[in-house]
Parts: sequence; structure tokens; C-alpha cells
Amino acid sequence: MIQLQHISHTFKIGKKGNERGVPVLKDISFNINDGEIISIVGKSGSGKSTLLNVIAGFLKPETGSIHMNGKETTNFTEAEHAKFRMVNTGFIFQNFQLMPGLTAKENIELPLKIKGVPKQSRKQHVQEILQKVELEKVADHYPNELSGGQQQRVCIARALVTNPPIILADEPTGSLDSETEQEILQLIKQLNVQMGITFVIITHDEEVATIANRTFRMHDGVLKEVETVAI
Amino acid sequence: MLFKDQIDFVRQHVKKNRMRIFTTVLATTMGCAFLIVLASIAFGLQGTMKEEILSDSAVTKIEVYSNDEEKLDEKAIRSIPNVQAIVNKSNIQASAFPTVKFENRSGNSEISFSNFEQAKKAKLKLSQGTYPSKKNEVIVGYNLGQNLLTKQELKAMEKEDDTTKEKENKRGLQQSLLGKEITVAFQTEDDKKTKTRNYKVVGIGEKPVKEWLTDSTIQMDEAMKPIVLRDYNKVADQKLKEKDFYYVSHAVYATDLEAVKGILKKLKSMHLSVYSVTEQLDQLNVFFLALKIGLIFVGTIAVLIASIGIYNTMTMAVTERIREIGVMKAIGAGPRLVQRLFVMESAYIGILGTVLAILISYIISFASNLLLPKILEAVMPESGIGELGIRFSTIPWELVLIASAISIGVAILSGWRPARKATKIDVIQALRQD
Repeated sequence: MIQLQHISHTFKIGKKGNERGVPVLKDISFNINDGEIISIVGKSGSGKSTLLNVIAGFLKPETGSIHMNGKETTNFTEAEHAKFRMVNTGFIFQNFQLMPGLTAKENIELPLKIKGVPKQSRKQHVQEILQKVELEKVADHYPNELSGGQQQRVCIARALVTNPPIILADEPTGSLDSETEQEILQLIKQLNVQMGITFVIITHDEEVATIANRTFRMHDGVLKEVETVAI
Repeated sequence: MLFKDQIDFVRQHVKKNRMRIFTTVLATTMGCAFLIVLASIAFGLQGTMKEEILSDSAVTKIEVYSNDEEKLDEKAIRSIPNVQAIVNKSNIQASAFPTVKFENRSGNSEISFSNFEQAKKAKLKLSQGTYPSKKNEVIVGYNLGQNLLTKQELKAMEKEDDTTKEKENKRGLQQSLLGKEITVAFQTEDDKKTKTRNYKVVGIGEKPVKEWLTDSTIQMDEAMKPIVLRDYNKVADQKLKEKDFYYVSHAVYATDLEAVKGILKKLKSMHLSVYSVTEQLDQLNVFFLALKIGLIFVGTIAVLIASIGIYNTMTMAVTERIREIGVMKAIGAGPRLVQRLFVMESAYIGILGTVLAILISYIISFASNLLLPKILEAVMPESGIGELGIRFSTIPWELVLIASAISIGVAILSGWRPARKATKIDVIQALRQD
């Protein structure tokens, strides 16, 4: 499903003309199978978010190749990446990234709008997802009227609504208390089991990694697999 | 994204920033309205002048002047395609103007000779009656009767130093001369010798297009030329030869307006001097075209100034929505969609401003046509501007179309750069924003 081969990337820092390179990803190679939950654990600055950005296509790696869903995405243009993401990838963000001017329902509907799905079909899809994430009661609430857990559920629903095979989650529970964190992790696990969605979760929280089938540890740009749980 | 959803998206953002959008739309409206109103002055004045020219003469008429004393080759002219008729008009010299008498009234007049068959072919209109078919039948000018005064009326007029229109209207023959017999008299200054001849009025000429013009001519058939000359010579101290008695003018009539240009070209190739109102209109059109282009250019500067406002508004919109753009790109919005949404927003401002500008311009145009003549009349009562029927402003659909294209085009161009900037927003940086 997702295959990374020899991915390396260096950030340039310092003033122009006096720059120096800081390697953030060092020859990373790994495979993720269909329906797996993968967690990448590491301290701040270890390069885990950069790795997620490379997988998502937000950042082009200096070397290496990425294959997702049978396609090499390494050299995609921005437009090709956008099109690919629209069909294949959903995102869960640490700080939810909801549109403040849209209700929960409208936020969930947004990817479908971008995809060009007709209104009637959109309505039906959104209703189904709202049920799945148990948000029917707050569907017409604006993000600032929702709790952190509810906002993250909206974010998850938005990621699910286009029915993507892969969901990339960057610190999905980073802004939540421990009780809500458990709720969200259970929801992710449930969606993985029910819908067969592949989750790639970036976290610094060891607790989050417990729901993963495989856990990788990132340290100074080097990735190592540390734990495998049979599916 | 479906087009309807794109429109909804744009409207949502416009609603969110109502005040900012309102001021930008207002600037666009002012710029566009300035353009339309400014250019409408050229359109208005051109319309007024065109009407003025066309009211003076027929558009299918071409005046032809033969060089020196060469006789006009009518046969050659008739062979030009689309020539309807050649009307020759001979006016007698001013020194030989006769006196016209009817009952106890008399007045001065002038005589002209026409080939009535051709005039009929040229469809020259009369206000009453028909064209003469006999030698002693004539057509008289619309105001001849009004010029025929009794002795009392003449005396009263000589006494008056201030003649009002009302008095003028009451003076002269009030009934029509149609069917009546008038007497044309040539006489010496001391009235010692007089030669008279009677004519029957069978037609009355058309009313002059201008109120201040009067037509007191007597039109006779060309066959009457030697007879009238003989009458004149009988009483004149200095006998005139035929060539000195009158001067001839020729008018070629085209079948329709479109044919005029072709006939003009042919006549010029025959080395004839020609004049047609269409040539004057062409010159007028060239002048006003230059004026319109100039005024539209000046108006466009106002639109360009307004576009700075649109540019600022759109730049702010992009800056404020960096995070939003980042999220949209992350969940699948391509650069083209992002760019289109912002260009549509600036186009929305442009369209709204233009529609308002068109409405306002029509109101200003209507008000200026209504009020300006009155104001000028009040400031300069002697000028008589109010009665001239000048249109100060006209907004034809072409102007609306040009102004709309400029205004909306400039609005879209203003939003183009900020929209391009939006497509270049880095998703990672955008998602890091609070």
C-alpha cells in the first residue's frame, strides 16, 4: 500500500549565502500494508512530522521514492498530489484545522464539495459519517461551540467522508485530555477494523502507539521498527 | 468543485467581510460610473449633432456641383447604379426677386425652377397638394401665406419696435394657399412699370425643420424659365441674359442610404464636386470616435485607481485565509481551484460594482439631461439653450458593454496576482498558523 525507499531530506538553515544543511530524514525505507495501523513515535524534532509531510506529498524528498496505492508519487506535481490526496488520503490534525465559519456538518462536507460530488449525494454521505462518529446532535454547531473531543471527531469525519484507503494522523490526540484521547483512539481502532482503513499515526505519546499494529521509533532522522503486533 | 458550490463559497466569504467588500465595491462603482458618465457626454453630443445634421437634409441626397460652366452630364449620372433621380433647381438672382400678391395682401418671394418629374421620383414630400402638371401651376413654400401682409399689417409692423412671436403668428394669411390663384409681379423700384402673371397653387412645401427658418419660395416647372425671364426683362432697367438670371444646383438622390457611398465615389471619379450629409456624418463620427476613446481612456484611469482597492482587498483576503487555503489544499483542492475561487471573488466585486455603476450612471445621465438645460437657461437666459434640445448624456448599450468589460476585466486582473499567491501557499507553513 505505502512503500518508502531510501528517503532522505535535509533542511537548509541560516542566512542566505551562509546556509548549512541539517539532515532530518536519513535513508528511510519501510512498507505499510493495507489495513494496518502504523505509529511513528519520537521526540520533538526527530523528523516524524517531516516524514508524514513527505508521505502526504506536502514536501518533496531530496532522494528516494514513494509508492502509494500502486502509484509512484515522488515526482507528482502539486496538482497531481492534490488530486491523489482527494481520492486516496484523509488527514487528522493535532489542532483539528476546522473552518471556523462552517458548521460541523459543513466542515465534513467540504472534501466532497472539492471533489465535485452533487448536493444530494453529499448530504447522504455526511449523514452516514455523522452517525459513525456519533456527532448527529452537534451537526449544526460551529467549531467554537464544540469540545476538543467533538472537534477531533469532526476532523476524523472530514477525513473519512471521501472514503479514502489511507488516513494520515499527525498527533491526533495531542490537544485532548486522557479520557477523550482514549475515546478517539477507540474510534480510530474501530474504523480500522470496520472499514479496513490504513492509519499512519505520528505521535510522541507512547500510549497512542498501543493501538498500532506496528510501531516505529524515529530518532535524529533515523527510523527503526520496534514492535509488531499480529493483526 | 461544482460551479454552484464555488459561487456559494465566494458569497460566504463576501458575507464574512461585508464592510471591506462594501468599500471596495463602492470604489469600483465610482470608477466605473465615472467612466460611463464621462463617455456618455461624447455619445450624447454626437447624437444631438447627428440629429441636427440629419434634420437639415435627406441622407440620400448628394449635392453635385459641375466645374465652371460645364453642363452636368445627367445621362452619365443616371447610368450610375442606384441613382433614383437628379433634381435640378434653378434659383433666380436676389436682385430679381418678385412680389407675390393674393387678394389685398402682398409680400416678397423668390422663384426657383425644378424638374418636377425627377422631384416626384426622388419622393420629395409636400405638406399639402401635389406636384404641378401644367405650366402655370406652382408649389409655394410653407410660410409664403404668412409673409403676405395687408397694408395695415405692414404699417403696424413698421411701427413696432418689439415684435413678439404671438403678434407674428397672428399676422399674414391664416388660411392655406392651396388651390388659390396668386399673382407674381416684377416691378421697378418706383412701381412705374409692372409685369404680372397669375399662377395656380397646387402644392405647399414641407414645414421647415427649424422653427426659425421660413420658406416663402415659389417653385415652378423648368419650362417656365424663359417666360419668367421675359417678364423680368420687361420691367428691368438692366436686361439679364438667361445665364445671369439664375444659378443652378443639382441634387442626385440615391435609392437608399447604403448606396450613397458608391454613388459619391463614382461622381468624384467624374471630377465633380460633391457634398453629402453622410460625408459630414463620417467626419463627425471620426471626431467623436477619437473623443470617445479619449474619454474612455480617462475613465479607465479611475477604474484602475479603484482596482488598487480590489488588489488590496484580495491580498488581505489571501493573507487572512492562509490556514484555510492550507487545509483546502491538504484535503484535495488543486492550485487551479484555489486560484479560481479568488479570481471569482474579485470578479464578484467587479460585477457588483459594475451593475451598481450602470444603474447610477443612468440616473445621473437622466438627471443631467433633465436639469442641465434648465440650469444653463437660468444662468444664461439669452442663450436659448433650453429650446435647442441638446442631449448632454446618452448611454447606449455599446458603452455599457465597453465599461462593463473594462471594469470587470480590471477587477479580475487585480485579483489575479493575489490568487496566484494563494496557489503558492505552502501547506506545511499554512497548517502551522494559528
